[in-house]
Amino acid sequence: MENNLSAYRRERGFSQQALADLLGVSRQTVISLEKGRYDPSLPLAFKLSAVFGCKIEDLFIPGED
Amino acid sequence: MDSKAVGQSKWGRSRFGGGSGALIAVSLSAGAVLSAGAGVLFARLNAPEHFVLAALLMAAGLLPVLSTACWALLLDRDTLRGATRNPEISVESQWYDRAAIGVFQDLLLVCGLGGAVFSFIQIQASLGLVLAGVVLLALLDFGIRYFIIKRAES
Repeated sequence: MENNLSAYRRERGFSQQALADLLGVSRQTVISLEKGRYDPSLPLAFKLSAVFGCKIEDLFIPGED
Repeated sequence: MDSKAVGQSKWGRSRFGGGSGALIAVSLSAGAVLSAGAGVLFARLNAPEHFVLAALLMAAGLLPVLSTACWALLLDRDTLRGATRNPEISVESQWYDRAAIGVFQDLLLVCGLGGAVFSFIQIQASLGLVLAGVVLLALLDFGIRYFIIKRAES
């Protein structure tokens, strides 16, 4: 799944570690999310949308089946 | 966001209170008592003619394992340095699940095929040794699978 996480994170001035600390996850999780190698669970997606103050669908772009 | 400010240290603190030193002391003490008990029981059942030596050897072998188990049981993981607040939604949790599923399938295959083959070949083996082998195989399989997944997706 594609996403805009990296752009949102840079816009807010967060490092990957700072975002990971805010979410309570490992930095590797943020790296994998940004690379599109890890599709987040619904709780994590909601946490991300809360951190960035946007909707989940603003962050994640569903792939075409 | 759920945030929980806790002091973290290398060895963490007990979920029942106290510092790292107390946690280590209690873990070592509980481990020593349990391993001594297991050593005595083992020696009485298996080697009454060399009771002291057998009890000491078994207790020495079990001490690090049981002390570590006690530490893990008593530890408040939020106080351990580097612990994340939400490990269940971290990517490592997904890697763990995938590796564990693979190990489960491997064990079904190995134990199923092994059971079929050894029903034809009459070989006697110690049950304890066979089970220890299965556990070692599962641990090794898990380690390799986790490492491969981590390498591929990091």
